[in-house]
Amino acid sequence: MERRAVMAEQLINGQVIEACQQGDRDAFHSLFVAYRDKVFSIAVYSSGGDRSVAEDVTQQIFVKLFTAIRQFRGDSEFTTWLYRLVVNACMDERRRRRRLLPWGTTETTVAMSNVSDRKPQERQYARLEISEAVRNAIAELKPKFRLPILLKYIEGLSYEEIAEVMGCSKGTVASRLNRGHSQLAKRLSHLNNPALWGD
Amino acid sequence: MFSKHVTKDISAYCQGELSSEESKVFAEHIISCVKCRTKFEEIKLGIKLAEQLPRLSAPDSLWQEVDALLGKEPAPVSTVSWPRRMAIAAAVLLAVSIGAVWLYNSRKPSGWQVTRLGGAPRIGSETISASGSLAIGEWLETDANSRALIAVGSIGNVEIDENTRVRLLATQPTEHRLELARGKMSARIWAPPRLFFVDTPSAVAADLGCEYTLEVNDHGAGRLSVTSGWVALQSKERESIVPAGASCETELGKGPGTPYFDDSTPEFKNALRDFDKAPGNGTGALASILSQSRPRDTLTLYHLLPRVNEEDRMHVYEKMAGLVPPPDGVTCEGVLKLDQKMLQQWRSSLETVWGPGGKGLPKNMKEWKLLKKGGDPKFFGKDGAK
Repeated sequence: MERRAVMAEQLINGQVIEACQQGDRDAFHSLFVAYRDKVFSIAVYSSGGDRSVAEDVTQQIFVKLFTAIRQFRGDSEFTTWLYRLVVNACMDERRRRRRLLPWGTTETTVAMSNVSDRKPQERQYARLEISEAVRNAIAELKPKFRLPILLKYIEGLSYEEIAEVMGCSKGTVASRLNRGHSQLAKRLSHLNNPALWGD
Repeated sequence: MFSKHVTKDISAYCQGELSSEESKVFAEHIISCVKCRTKFEEIKLGIKLAEQLPRLSAPDSLWQEVDALLGKEPAPVSTVSWPRRMAIAAAVLLAVSIGAVWLYNSRKPSGWQVTRLGGAPRIGSETISASGSLAIGEWLETDANSRALIAVGSIGNVEIDENTRVRLLATQPTEHRLELARGKMSARIWAPPRLFFVDTPSAVAADLGCEYTLEVNDHGAGRLSVTSGWVALQSKERESIVPAGASCETELGKGPGTPYFDDSTPEFKNALRDFDKAPGNGTGALASILSQSRPRDTLTLYHLLPRVNEEDRMHVYEKMAGLVPPPDGVTCEGVLKLDQKMLQQWRSSLETVWGPGGKGLPKNMKEWKLLKKGGDPKFFGKDGAK
């Protein structure tokens, strides 16, 4: 699955983007296939694990991308430009949901347990538990610490690329990742057990 | 010399975002700063956890929904001509080929440089002529007439003796790991503590900034001898700290034994060997160990504290307290109850007795530089610099 997505991403070059800018649906479908999983993953983790919200956000992002891509001038990497769109859409959605949520309801109460992407046939049970604990802990991080982590580990961006997407300095990215890693370690210190990792 | 704390750079260091000069300053600082080293361990765990974050798969139905919504959007009129479509198709085809080649190359695991020192060492099934590269998962094997030298990234090197079989398990900024299945290797490592590990069938050797040799026999038992600095020998239940001039044996199913100084008496070593073989029936052996102990041998006695029963622990404590009195705040009652805080406090003061030249684990830059100068000048340079 991931290999297919990586292959699809390799296909996105200047000509495909230019075709998308011309309204070519086939080219846009290629773009969608290349980035759907990455965009969806960020949307899921940013919405506290709510897949239905994440599906809505992902749809909105691609619909917006279809028209907004005409404004892409190639001043930056296409991926940087796309992730900026994704990050802004996720932040907008979060602000919107905060207005709608009653007092006392926090994001962490939004059911992370709805995330049911478990593939027990492919992974060891212990790893699944770790993975789920990490998802929950990521959902509890403040957005300014969570987003750099998602861009680093889901998108595989460098510090410089993350800085460009988030509109901040590389030093700020380093600092936020440091604090994000530190908070993850503190919240999940009980997982610091070699037996769980099969080390 | 004043050296700023480096906690803010830990993630960047672990993820290869620092320049080589910055990395060197970082490594030099962290190896001697307890505060930064503690934070380093915490951030390493955070990175390890974040790496478990899976990418999720978007539902297959998503395109239909997006496509339906696009139908309502004021899509720009397609001005893409057929010849242009053909050109795009050709470009996509070309990109597939380039992508496939890129994927193949990018997925090739990074490896370590191996230099032949003699004979015909092999990586996998191929013999090394002068040098080769050891990729993750590959075995390097020497026969009775061959030897090899592995460059461990930029943090040191490992000499592989005759009749040895090693495998590269991991090479990342946060962890370099070899497996020694059998034979003998000598490591010289310049890196922050606990970055370089060697897995053996009966224990894991964790480098704390040092030089050492490690041997594994055909039964999976091993022996660690440290020539400079410190090494921790670990299993799931046990950890033995081994300073320069000391050794520690390991046994399959039992893990690391009790460390001892190489210059201790033969009677002391024999008694310790007997005790490690059968700790439950080791009262006679223990009496011999205690009677032969010198102040330095508190290294052995300290490791025996949790490995003996409560009655024998009192004898060990009394002998230790007679040789090196415990610091203020460490009581007999606390030690007998194996109070971790008190044991750690006593160990910190004992490390100065065990350490090379009367030095404990380096606690600041000055102490670390002194430790470096005590190392092999070929490795550290004439002035002690790397």
